[in-house]
Amino acid sequence: MAAGWIEQLTGSFKDKKRYRDYKARSRQLPGSYREAVEALDRYLMYRGLITDGDVLVSMLGDLLDLFEQGAANGTPVRELVGEDPVEFAEVFVRNYSEGQWINKERERLIRAIDRAADDRPGAPGSAGDGQTL
Amino acid sequence: MGRQMTEMLKGTLEGIVLAVLVMRPAYGYEITAWLREQGFSDIAEGTVYALLVRFEQRGLVDVEKVPSQKGPPRKVYRLNATGHEYLEEFWRTWSFLTERLEQLRQGGG
Repeated sequence: MAAGWIEQLTGSFKDKKRYRDYKARSRQLPGSYREAVEALDRYLMYRGLITDGDVLVSMLGDLLDLFEQGAANGTPVRELVGEDPVEFAEVFVRNYSEGQWINKERERLIRAIDRAADDRPGAPGSAGDGQTL
Repeated sequence: MGRQMTEMLKGTLEGIVLAVLVMRPAYGYEITAWLREQGFSDIAEGTVYALLVRFEQRGLVDVEKVPSQKGPPRKVYRLNATGHEYLEEFWRTWSFLTERLEQLRQGGG
């Protein structure tokens, strides 16, 4: 998995170095924390579809901070992630959404609906034709 | 935690964490521990952490890295002026919602 997408990080050696640092740091974690980070890493990659390498490595760095802190405090993995790991991952990934390709499609949708619901007089669906609510 | 509680917390946890931070600067572990003591027993530290990351991104908090005896430095979050404004807005929204809901419960507004 990792080898596949890292090659998509176009050209940024800095991001690659940060990614290698992240990998090296995550290997230092105690077993159960490392396992949890790897599982979340995998899910976030699929779920986030983050195209910006810088945002992506920041996300992984923040994730690792949480687990390093948790390991140092002796907080059990379950208390870090909660009863619903998917819910945690969803809340977490939203912070890095500026790198998500879906945002372009969201903007496109908003523009298209703006056009369709345009207030121009006489336009279909305009405020004047009594069909808007 | 029941399903309803989980769903309602999704919308309010942000305000809850800001309200904790208004009392004093704190790091993620402290905030979670305090919330658990207050009865929010199933709150994941990671969820609180994700919100703190968001606050930092949006400039609602000032962050200071404090060295720790065990492990990496801790990030201490302090609510700044923008954060206070945001919390004010949260309370206004909250008041609006609770008033309207109470009216509904009393049998229509």
